[in-house]
Amino acid sequence: MKKKEKKNLQQKETWYKLDLSANVYPTLQRKNFSSVYRLSVLLKEKINPKLLQEAVDMTLPRFPTFKVAIHKGLFWRYLAPNNRPGPYVQKDVANFCMPMNFKLNNRYLIRLYYYERRFSFECHHSLADGSGGMFVLQTITANYLRLLGHKIPNGGFVLDINEKSKKEETEDAYLRYATSKMRPPRTQEKAYRVRGTVEPFYTLNVIGGIMSTSEIHKKAKWYGASITEYLNAVLLYALIQKQKADRPIKERPVKLAMPVNLRRFFPSQTLRNFITMIYPTIDPRLGDYKFEEILTQVHFYMRYYLNDKFLNADITTNAATRRNPVIRIVPLFIKDFTVKQFYSRVQDKQSSAGLTNMGAITVPPGMEKYIERFDIYMGQPYSARTNCAIVSFGDTLTVNFASSIVESDVEQYFFRKLVEDGIHVKIETNRSHC
Amino acid sequence: MSYCVNCGVQLDRTARRCPLCNTPILNPKETVDTTSPTPYPKEKGQVDQVKHTDLAILLFSVLGSTSAACGLINFFVVDKSSWSLYIIGVCFMLWVFFIPAVLSTKLPIYVFLLLDGIAVAVYCFLISLNTPSRVWFLELAVPITATITLLVIIFAFLIRNVHASILSGAIYLFTEIGILTVSLECFIRSFLHMEFAMTWSAIVLICCVCIDIVLITIITRSRLREAVRRRMHI
Ligand SMILES: [Zn+2]
Repeated sequence: MKKKEKKNLQQKETWYKLDLSANVYPTLQRKNFSSVYRLSVLLKEKINPKLLQEAVDMTLPRFPTFKVAIHKGLFWRYLAPNNRPGPYVQKDVANFCMPMNFKLNNRYLIRLYYYERRFSFECHHSLADGSGGMFVLQTITANYLRLLGHKIPNGGFVLDINEKSKKEETEDAYLRYATSKMRPPRTQEKAYRVRGTVEPFYTLNVIGGIMSTSEIHKKAKWYGASITEYLNAVLLYALIQKQKADRPIKERPVKLAMPVNLRRFFPSQTLRNFITMIYPTIDPRLGDYKFEEILTQVHFYMRYYLNDKFLNADITTNAATRRNPVIRIVPLFIKDFTVKQFYSRVQDKQSSAGLTNMGAITVPPGMEKYIERFDIYMGQPYSARTNCAIVSFGDTLTVNFASSIVESDVEQYFFRKLVEDGIHVKIETNRSHC
Repeated sequence: MSYCVNCGVQLDRTARRCPLCNTPILNPKETVDTTSPTPYPKEKGQVDQVKHTDLAILLFSVLGSTSAACGLINFFVVDKSSWSLYIIGVCFMLWVFFIPAVLSTKLPIYVFLLLDGIAVAVYCFLISLNTPSRVWFLELAVPITATITLLVIIFAFLIRNVHASILSGAIYLFTEIGILTVSLECFIRSFLHMEFAMTWSAIVLICCVCIDIVLITIITRSRLREAVRRRMHI
């Protein structure tokens, strides 16, 4: 008993600064918007919610940066350990990634859902990026499977719950690596914006395509590109077609906002945010691009930008504001106001759609036979548009579009191009009339 | 296994239409599966509303105890004037003002504005209890509060439903200032039993009309508007 009290006291003393990119997300918080993303795993058998809850309760203490509440300081927000009861596993809903009020749900910034065979983990972006969240999802899933009597080893995304959380896992890796002498500007040209009928509060339209990884890989290889480059090019192609169909007075460049997992370039074990954005662009004002030309453009853009030099310069720009002594002592509400203005007037307008690719997910040996596939969702877009999230597991690759508008033209152009390229696509949706 | 004839994608067995192009699925060999679970749940989740119950209780108790204390002191420490009514009135007014901020009700904003107006009128009534004559309350306070409340409600309606921009907002504002000054002079003159005439309010009204005309011209002339925007942009 005494030991437990002492442990509680110790826990109370720890708190975390928000990491560099996490600072933006809480400022964008509105009554009808939160930066929440979702990671799902589809198992082969129906989920037992009681056991799942048990697995969650076992697992979460291993992840101290997820069992937190967000608080306001005078100058910055911070995360403090949350010892309120929960979070609880709940029945899934059609309009997921709902706004997350910081004061409700016992102040937890994560949600756990189950539906039939699917277990979903929702996380506010101020805690972690997709890769960080994947550790939680897989560790909970592994413990759930263990509770069912299966033998699952630790490793990869499954962490040992008997171990204590390591310091490297909770670090802000940005500050460690932001050392570049160059600081590229933040602002870019405004991009084409998808116009559509905004859905009433609160709806999230999801259209997902399930494909064979090897089929896509073969096709991408045939073009001489990687899977990411190929799907990037298909989405750019879809957006260009959509812009043409809109018949705008003035055409704008079509840009994707694509998060890059920096762990690939800067070794870090952090479970928090460690991503930066790159913007593959096609400018239709230069002329009509054929699909192959788009793909070449994307291919070389990626080769050119994706290296530690360019990415370091990028994160140094962000770190500079965090380190600037004048900015640091500005009260929080002024920071909130400026960041929000900058985001909605500049940053949000410089991309036409979001696209993220988590790549091929691996699980510890012996676990794959219980899992059918993974799904990831970028969550509700900040402005009226559609966001695309890609993940693959074994031979199943899923592309999930999450949008806040009624029209599904972009999705239609995207999947039709894949079908034209001879890829078999199965579509699933949460739209109620389908 | 059904495919969309239009898009060529495979669809779920439970799907009735293609999610991409809305084409209904007609597969004589395989009818729509209505028993199996759909890929996503059908039930919609409700977004919880934040309840500032604690704040509401705190506010109520602070304001309530202040008015109660003042009332008691006024009652027991014998004093002919009932000064505590001023404080009770202020507390009541503040409480009404804070209702929309504290309780997230679904009532439209106009109801709250109306309640605010009534609260101000009630406060004036409490003051009038301490003044020798109550004529000013009926002939000045009530009509003026009513006019201002009405104008504010109309302003809110125009901004929310008709057209909201800085220029059109300015037009509404100046028109209402004109109307308000004219009605103010009317009320004051009738209170003083003077003949009806427009003197100082006429000057304000003319100024407002002039400003309105300029603003309307700017709005209707798009080139002029662009020039103003360019030169006045912030
Ligand atoms: Zn179709």
